[in-house]
Amino acid sequence: MSPQGQLLTVTSLTKAFGKVQAISDLSFQVQPGRVTGFLGPNGSGKTTTLRCLLGLVQPTSGSARVGEHDYRELSHPATVVGAALEASGFHPGRTARGHLQVITDAAALPAARADEVLALVGLTEAAGRKVGGFSLGMRQRLALAAALVGDPGVLILDEPANGLDPEGIAWLRSFLRARAQEGRTVLVSSHVLSEVQQTVDDVVIISKGRLVQTGTLDELTGTGISKVRVRTPNAEVLRLALTAVTNDGVETRVEIVSDNEILVVGIETAQIGHIALREQVELHELTPVGNDLEALFLELTAGGNPGGAA
Amino acid sequence: MMALVRSEFRKVTTTKVLLWLTIATVTFSALNVVLLVFLTPRAMDVSTDVNFLLDPAYVTNILGAAGSSSIFILILGIIGMTGEYRHMTITSTFLVTPKRPRVLIAKGMAYALLGATLGLIAFASSFVVTLIALSREAHAPVDATIAIQILVGVVLAFAIYAFVGVSVGALIRIQVAAVVGALVWVLIVEALITVFVDWIGKWLPGGALDAVLQTTNVTGRGGEDILPTAAGVIVLIGYAVLFGTLASLTTLRRDIT
Repeated sequence: MSPQGQLLTVTSLTKAFGKVQAISDLSFQVQPGRVTGFLGPNGSGKTTTLRCLLGLVQPTSGSARVGEHDYRELSHPATVVGAALEASGFHPGRTARGHLQVITDAAALPAARADEVLALVGLTEAAGRKVGGFSLGMRQRLALAAALVGDPGVLILDEPANGLDPEGIAWLRSFLRARAQEGRTVLVSSHVLSEVQQTVDDVVIISKGRLVQTGTLDELTGTGISKVRVRTPNAEVLRLALTAVTNDGVETRVEIVSDNEILVVGIETAQIGHIALREQVELHELTPVGNDLEALFLELTAGGNPGGAA
Repeated sequence: MMALVRSEFRKVTTTKVLLWLTIATVTFSALNVVLLVFLTPRAMDVSTDVNFLLDPAYVTNILGAAGSSSIFILILGIIGMTGEYRHMTITSTFLVTPKRPRVLIAKGMAYALLGATLGLIAFASSFVVTLIALSREAHAPVDATIAIQILVGVVLAFAIYAFVGVSVGALIRIQVAAVVGALVWVLIVEALITVFVDWIGKWLPGGALDAVLQTTNVTGRGGEDILPTAAGVIVLIGYAVLFGTLASLTTLRRDIT
């Protein structure tokens, strides 16, 4: 029976570094049994939020709790929360095994646990090698191994896919899904939505230290505004015909991209095709570009406009 | 707490710094013995016509050379603490032990044990070198009681001094600044203060260290200028606790970003 995950609760979290406001009144929850993507552009405050959750950074106000407790109140934190932050926290002269055994010692875990987690992340052969010679991908795996030594119910991983090859990313994806299915809490940060799109159940999106959107990935997909790209030599004719369309309760709009390309908002491809046929307009392309999560993500986080999405 | 102390031992034994500083300590102590046996008396001979080696106090001094490598012990402690910030291993250290003063106490205890061990090694090497060096010279007898006193002093002094180093490292987290600062303080600032205001000098860390070592060869201080050994022990521990407490209230609390 694997350890149960815990609810992570961030409440009105605010953090200022001097005059720089890193996080402003941020509130969200992370559910156990699910993989949650913590998303935002670089510098949006993701790492600071995670470090507040982990007791490394003292919030200016508000709280970030693991279950009922502040991280610093946990008596055996390694067995409750496993965290992998940036991949630079290694002594270059220490071996991978040595690095992990420093942790198993401090957490009063058996030293043999180091080799177990190294096997889990596929670093068995590098166990005796110095970390100074490790590639970024190997460091990421070692950081993950360090997070796993205490077999914790909560995993907090900061940009874990950085430096991993496609094979490694696929492995990480199934690994995290399996942990969530065991009932653990898995929080993964990323600045690229597409990177975690296939992994996460829930998303928390922040920009400039403020919450932009939180909910399930499906809900987020639902908020996407569907667009259709149309390429045609008779763009102007088609534009006029499409502008005349009125769909109940849906805002329709036609944007001109170039002389032979338009973007249609609020009209399905079938309807556009039908109108083009009626108007006898030749079509070269008819592609739905709506629900493009990456575009939506950029839209949501661009310009730090948290009021833009509810 | 024992788990944390064990973790600190693991940290220091899985890197090279302990090896280098052990070599430095042994070499420097042995070198000082050689200097005192072969160079100083001969140089003096020319003008004073006195054979220092026949003076029991001078022989005591030679044995006390074991303590001359104390600066390496201070640096060992400083590097042990500041290295965590330099390599950012402090992140995983504080993740496992979020109650930060516990890390400082565990590290201090681990390094005190390392310091004591290095004190034993330094004394052993200088004792052996002294016996070898003196074996071909006419000299005053080596007093076993005094030798044991010096051994106890060196072990005790190195143990506490290593803890002082850890505390200094917690207070000044930038490794280069802490090491250079400590060197400048010990070799220049404190030496100057001791020369000009000697009643303050004996209360400073180096003065307290000399009191524990009870040797005069390090700073040239005489018997009346230094505190009794017991007082030296208390003052030196006081510095370790003072710096450690200051660090716990200030630098140790800072955000790890």
